[in-house]
Amino acid sequence: MSTPVSSPRAIVWQRRRAAVAKIWREFASNKGGLIGLGFLAVIVVLAVLAPVITDESGLDVTKATGGPLRPPSGEFPLGTDVDGRSVLLMTFWGARVSLLVGFSATVLSVLIGTVIGVAAAHFGGWLSALLLRFTDFFLVLPSLVLAIALSAVLPQGISTIILAVGITSWPTTARLVRAQTLTIESLPYIERSKALGGGHLHIVGKHVLPGVMPLVLANTTLVVGNSIIAESTLSFLGVGDPTEVSWGSMLSTALTTGAVTRGAWWYLLPPGLAIVVIVLSFTLVGRALETVLNPRLRGEHS
Amino acid sequence: MTDALSSTEAPSPLVDPDERRGGTGTTRFVLTKLAEALASLILVVILGFLLFRMIPGDPVLTMTRNRPTSPALLAELRARMGVDKPILTQFFDYVRGLLRGDMGTSYILQRPVADLIAERAWPTILLVGSATLLAVALGLWLGVRAAWKRGSFFDRAHTGIALTLWSVPQFWLGLLLLVASNGLFPSRGMHSPDAAPDFLSQTLDVAHHLVLPCVTLLVVFYAQYMLVMRSSLLGEMNSEYLTTARAKGLREDLVRRRHAVPNALLPTVTLVFLQFGMVVSGSVSVEAVFSWPGLGQLTYDALHGPDLPVLQGVFVVLAGAVVVMNLLAELLYRVLDPRVRAA
Amino acid sequence: MTETTGAAAKTPLLRLKDLDVTYSTGGGDVAAVRKVNLSLAAGDTLGVAGESGSGKSTVAMSVLRLLPRSAKVSGEILLDGEDVTTMKWGRLRAVRWGEASVVFQGAMHALNPVRKIGEQIAEPIRVHAEAGKVPPDAEVRARVAELLEQVDLPKSRAGAYPHELSGGQKQRVMIAMALACRPRLIIADEPTTALDVIVQAQVLDLLSALVAEHSIGLIMISHDLSVLASTCARIAVMYDGEVVEERPSAELMSAPRHPHSQALAAAFPTVGDPVSRYAPATATPLPPEPERAVEPGRAPLLSAEDLRVTFRDRNGAKINAVAGVDLDVRHDEIVALVGQSGSGKTTLARTLLGLQKPTSGIVRYDGNPVPMSGAGLKAYRRHVQLVLQDPSSALNPRHTVYEAVAEGPRIHGLEENELAIVTKALESAELRPAEKYFSRLPHELSGGQRQRVVIAGALALEPGMLVADEPVASLDASVRGEILALLLRLRRELGLAALVITHDLGLAWNIADRVAVMYRGELVEVGTVEEVLLDPQHEYTKSLLAALPGGTSVRTAVDR
Repeated sequence: MSTPVSSPRAIVWQRRRAAVAKIWREFASNKGGLIGLGFLAVIVVLAVLAPVITDESGLDVTKATGGPLRPPSGEFPLGTDVDGRSVLLMTFWGARVSLLVGFSATVLSVLIGTVIGVAAAHFGGWLSALLLRFTDFFLVLPSLVLAIALSAVLPQGISTIILAVGITSWPTTARLVRAQTLTIESLPYIERSKALGGGHLHIVGKHVLPGVMPLVLANTTLVVGNSIIAESTLSFLGVGDPTEVSWGSMLSTALTTGAVTRGAWWYLLPPGLAIVVIVLSFTLVGRALETVLNPRLRGEHS
Repeated sequence: MTDALSSTEAPSPLVDPDERRGGTGTTRFVLTKLAEALASLILVVILGFLLFRMIPGDPVLTMTRNRPTSPALLAELRARMGVDKPILTQFFDYVRGLLRGDMGTSYILQRPVADLIAERAWPTILLVGSATLLAVALGLWLGVRAAWKRGSFFDRAHTGIALTLWSVPQFWLGLLLLVASNGLFPSRGMHSPDAAPDFLSQTLDVAHHLVLPCVTLLVVFYAQYMLVMRSSLLGEMNSEYLTTARAKGLREDLVRRRHAVPNALLPTVTLVFLQFGMVVSGSVSVEAVFSWPGLGQLTYDALHGPDLPVLQGVFVVLAGAVVVMNLLAELLYRVLDPRVRAA
Repeated sequence: MTETTGAAAKTPLLRLKDLDVTYSTGGGDVAAVRKVNLSLAAGDTLGVAGESGSGKSTVAMSVLRLLPRSAKVSGEILLDGEDVTTMKWGRLRAVRWGEASVVFQGAMHALNPVRKIGEQIAEPIRVHAEAGKVPPDAEVRARVAELLEQVDLPKSRAGAYPHELSGGQKQRVMIAMALACRPRLIIADEPTTALDVIVQAQVLDLLSALVAEHSIGLIMISHDLSVLASTCARIAVMYDGEVVEERPSAELMSAPRHPHSQALAAAFPTVGDPVSRYAPATATPLPPEPERAVEPGRAPLLSAEDLRVTFRDRNGAKINAVAGVDLDVRHDEIVALVGQSGSGKTTLARTLLGLQKPTSGIVRYDGNPVPMSGAGLKAYRRHVQLVLQDPSSALNPRHTVYEAVAEGPRIHGLEENELAIVTKALESAELRPAEKYFSRLPHELSGGQRQRVVIAGALALEPGMLVADEPVASLDASVRGEILALLLRLRRELGLAALVITHDLGLAWNIADRVAVMYRGELVEVGTVEEVLLDPQHEYTKSLLAALPGGTSVRTAVDR
């Protein structure tokens, strides 16, 4: 099957490439996952290219050219908001905020969760018990309430939201990582590694982390979906940056300025639909990844 | 803010069913769990203090950041809130106050926080309670049926719907329902001023107002319960003891009903309890959209101060309630699962 | 008792005619059972032997149509003349348990974990009651009590949950459940595989007695020929989906004809048989073992002095896993540590390896005490290495063979000659040419090859001694001999001593010089293999040998 390999490094890279290729093939057979990935790719590309494709000045309230709350027309395909700005433009730019916050908060959350999860499972003893109680405590706490509390006391802005969401959503990842680490560490090859003389660093680095990473990856995509909903909720509730246009703040304005009662559906639908599409895409990708990386779940998911 | 929908997450932090145990006795178990809950409550109290007195640096400045103030006003506020005392004294005052039922005074509404919370508690309980019950009933039933008919149109359709609904932000759904129902249901509040004063009319009136917020809240959670129940049952259906049951000559539906479903139900039910915190979180935005006069709306209004004493009080109460529910979940699980009971 | 009515005497109880079972999997169709013809008369006992993948379990499950939907069955399965494959569902459900029942591996997860075992035994009684005439509770309970008594379990156990019972007790519950509706045929699928030798003997005796008493036909599936020989009158050997040999068991055991039967028979050597001493079953015969000169003055290579390991369980009660053990392993010696589960043998092994800290006592290597932590322990690891039981989980499934074998040298900083070290280790483990295996992943290898990789990983550090924990228990019968022969060869060529932990006395007879018998944390008997196994002194050793299903060659002369 394999061509003769010249060096140990080549062997390692070859098997890594083969593993990734195999994961991709299985992932590609999952229609939901592919659709989700497709949508995500399009959205991310559009969001990144927004400054190039569109004119940011259209977001400036003072430069708005349309009339307030006009229904969709040729010039404004999605109508205008209460200040006369193009809803389409705002939805476009809102994507950037949502994606930025979503990703950053997720990175923070997954980092904290993975470190605590691995530590709780690997070291055992009182440290493990302490970390476990700590995790359980934060897991049960109503996260949005906590996030609201944090957002209220910290200066308003994007970084506050990122911090609030990141700090409140790590427990799920931590539990997942802990459970997976415990499973891996109960396998005989860990004992073999210890018998060969491996210490903590070796075992965690060479066996635990590579074993845990795939599931963390799948979980991460689901966490991003969560974080985006959390961000939009917090923005909606008014704790975001008032100057930034985000989907949550658009909807908040819709409520407070009576766009709702005036039946301005063009203002209401796009931000919400955008959230649904993004989160659903992340969910589909996440579930597809989970099925691929954890074959045991194939029966439960499909 | 709903939780990551990962099937690999162990639904219960309580017990590993494969672990062999020697008996520890029910009393010991209950006492241990009570002690743990107490410890969590203490942590909640400490966290409340930390968040609202220590993080903002100078809470008075944070509270008044959106309002015009004068140095005299600030000084008066500081004295009233006790912010000028040393931190430890503040903490003890705070704890003593909590034990007496005194949670400080609302800065914006100038009323005792405890009174405000007491007034708003019942509407939230009504909303959250009804939504949870309906979501559980609907979710579990649909989940079981979808798993039974796995792969069928029913299953695929409902799974698709559930996945989509789970991706919908609750507040947006509320807004949509508001626009769509277009006057069919009241759009704000809990009571109509013109309802007849007798009990039946009042109840019907409240129910009328309850429909939209309740539906908004339950839609997202039924989806989660349905997906978890479905995957739990699907996982259970591969168990070996089901082959034994079939070999004994049981009909397939009996095999599922008598053996698979009860076993799959256990972790799902405790998950419902554990997710209570999220339902409470969800109620904040739903109450905000519908101006439902509960704790969520109180929080929403307090956010725009920010009215720190109110936020602190609500935080402690909500978090404490969730800790209590978690305790009930652990005790319930022990009653339901004989493998834990023997321990 | 085989004589019933004239008609029944002609119709066998069970007849499999040209049975074919094919599974449709993602990768195409897999023929699991091919043209199998078997028959069983009422009251008869038939054993079906084979390795994993031979199709024996599929044959068993097909009798009651318990196969998954992906299985396509053709041919005839005649149960008392009726063809099971064409039965309607209603009739099939009545037949299931009413005419024929199955004893699954109870020790595993065949029982519903959240229902009382009394209810589970009662369930088929109620299901198979005549329509509308479900017997009253009191009657059902009485029947359950009667069944429990028949399997030597106290009536009070009816209120217990499965996790409260031991493996042997769960198996008895499965037997009681199988008898509930007075079947004419019982199919026992690996009924004793997870059980201790002594418990296994008890369960087999029970099953034989009950089957004879009620004139029930018995089909028993197992990979262990000696288990089948002690319980069944005839044995059919299956290989790759076909029946390759079917003969009365005594004949099969003493003179197997088909090469596969020979491999199976040889894999479970009879203790005391000089033919299998130092001669594990291999494809090519081994050279005879050279005489071993014992140097009296030399200190043992590894020794444990009054080793004690104590644990505290959940209630705080003390468990003496290892209660004062003195054990020596000399240079060039293979010592077998024999014990059943719960004896403490695995704890002892882990302590000797430094994976478990002893509560008291000393472990010495080459005369020097072994440090139980730090750099000293790491250095010790180069001298004594571990081979685990289950090779499929002893290797990280994501790492290639090369990385697995190189792991040890890398930890100890021997990277310069890594390639040479890995090649040499693989070749010593008889994986040649080594380069062919470098980039393979564990799941691409067979069980025997995986175990060789584990051994190679151990050899890469050039240890003086191996500790092997059940090294062949998870391997197929035909491969066991090869791995055991490898251990002998390593001893001869590299001077590698070994401590082999096992529950299998036959293995000790096969390759060990000395044997130590462990029971409840203590060594009850230690001596050379000839001494201990042929002339046991301690009661426990005697009961272990008496419980061997194949008996020992000392005893086969006398009727069991």
